[in-house]
Amino acid sequence: MRAGFLAAILLVAGGYTWLAFAELDYLSSAGRLGPGFFPRIIGVALVVLCAHSLYAEVRTSREALSETWRTTVVVAAFSAAFIVALEPLGALLSMILFLGATLTYLNRGRPLQNAALALLLPIGVYLLFKVWLNAALPRGILPL
Amino acid sequence: MDIFANLLLGLSVAVSPVNLAYLFAGVVIGMVVGIIPGFGPSAALAILLPVTFGMDPNGAVIMLAAIYYGSQYGGTITSILLNTPGESSSVASTFDGYPLAQQGRAGPALVMQAVASFVGGTLGVILITLLAPAFSQVTRSFGPPEFFLLVVMGLSTLIVMVGGNWRYGLISALVGFALGTVGVDLETGQTRFTFRSAELIGGIDFIPIAIGLFGLGELYYAFYTGMHLSGSGGIVQYQKEKRFWPQLADFAETRFALLRGSVLGFVIGVIPGAGATIASLMSYSLEKSASRTPEKFGKGAMAGLVGPEAANNAASSGAMVPLLTLGIPGSAATAVLLAAFVLWGLTPGPLLMAQKPEFAWGLIASMYLGNMALLALNVFAIPLFVQMVKLPYRILAPAVILVCTVGTYSVNASPIETWLMFAAGLAGFFMKLHGFSPAALVLALVLGPLAEQSLRQSLTISRGSLSIFLERPTCLWILGITAVVLTLGILMRRSGRGR
Repeated sequence: MRAGFLAAILLVAGGYTWLAFAELDYLSSAGRLGPGFFPRIIGVALVVLCAHSLYAEVRTSREALSETWRTTVVVAAFSAAFIVALEPLGALLSMILFLGATLTYLNRGRPLQNAALALLLPIGVYLLFKVWLNAALPRGILPL
Repeated sequence: MDIFANLLLGLSVAVSPVNLAYLFAGVVIGMVVGIIPGFGPSAALAILLPVTFGMDPNGAVIMLAAIYYGSQYGGTITSILLNTPGESSSVASTFDGYPLAQQGRAGPALVMQAVASFVGGTLGVILITLLAPAFSQVTRSFGPPEFFLLVVMGLSTLIVMVGGNWRYGLISALVGFALGTVGVDLETGQTRFTFRSAELIGGIDFIPIAIGLFGLGELYYAFYTGMHLSGSGGIVQYQKEKRFWPQLADFAETRFALLRGSVLGFVIGVIPGAGATIASLMSYSLEKSASRTPEKFGKGAMAGLVGPEAANNAASSGAMVPLLTLGIPGSAATAVLLAAFVLWGLTPGPLLMAQKPEFAWGLIASMYLGNMALLALNVFAIPLFVQMVKLPYRILAPAVILVCTVGTYSVNASPIETWLMFAAGLAGFFMKLHGFSPAALVLALVLGPLAEQSLRQSLTISRGSLSIFLERPTCLWILGITAVVLTLGILMRRSGRGR
């Protein structure tokens, strides 16, 4: 897993470094150090360090996947679905749905507690941000 | 005399009813944030930063700073009762705090940690009061080479001192620097890495990154480690009525540990990049080696709890010195505070104390009051916070995800920033999982523009010669201190590995 993560950073770092050399000037038109100076140093250092770490990792890696991965992936997926639903459904409804789904998955066997929390907590957060702090929250399909 | 007059000016700012209300709100939020494992002051500060946009800058910074040092108090309650530190800086408090609770001394341990936190925090603020003006005078002569070396010192200290693979720490910092280069180059006006997106011209917004890395990322990691499965079953009960208060012997036994921890913590806190976690761990080692009964450490020695607690609170005060006088944060949480200063049009640095005395001294004076409020809260409202510790993580965590998401969206009503927060959350999870350093990334993201600007200016002054970093006496001092801190860090890592 770590090797994959390092490879992803290396890929992005490679692109960053290529852009730093291809599109950004080392010196400005006035002859001073230009916009490409610092990114080139950072990019090269990042590529060298990532490549070295990836090589070391691939040589020694012996990892096993944990069971809690499933919960982590499910909660991350619920968070992403929450962000997707935020604007079309509105803040209040999407909060209720997110909390309802997440608590049903995590806090099993307590439907009443989950329903109460999924309803009351979003109302509290909504009042805090929308009414007290006057923050911009998406309205969605509810007439709020 | 100047100091006394400035402190009075600061007190007059801090005791206004509105600022007192913000201070109290800040310490309570800080306590709550400290108690929740996997949700630290950095994320809380980043979420609340947009909330303070409409507030008076004095009140806003008083509240945010109170959240920062208040979290150091709260983090220990779970260390003592649950053997789970609420903050990384409270890890050392589990070593003897939890054994004390298991021996039926949870009450005295909770009160002594509050007293130690108060002594460390207050002594730290006294030292800020005495030293910050002098520090500010010295740093007025600093130029681009000094500022560049201070950034290097802060990041290299963070990378070496915090455990794990130093290469991954350095990669994290370089990624932070790379993200910091996105946007318009301030010297030439040329856009960099924006891919013609109008949203990226102003650079990558710091708030969603901080909320994602320290909010979502930490929570996902907590799920990965199975924290939602453990519940609060392991919590040690304590008796409020009898054996709650510490005995005189507890105070007598720990009086030197209190002082040592406070002074050590402050010194470590002043060094950019070192921070409260390092201070508390070093204090624990110091107390163990200074004790006549080192065999009691790890089995419920009160000095093993009191020293680190005084140290982490003094360190959080000490971290304010480089922040106020140089504009250089030493940790992720103080990086968020720096971002807050900049948002309000304040430039922390050598001139802040002279040009905005009501702001700088208002903050310092509020820290005296905040520590008093925290002591009272910790001693008299412990049952309330213990109820919070009992809240199952499987309920607490979704509520925090909710606040992170809605908090990010509410800043600019921007779905792109909300997705950026989510991406930073996933990145934060993988960084934590594989031993990378989200704190180094955030610190480099905040300090990146300063590092780049000061390096380019230094090399322009010296016509491209790196010898400018070796010619100025102040540069040599900074390089010397960096070398000492790094050597200490490397020796600590080696001795840790040996054990």
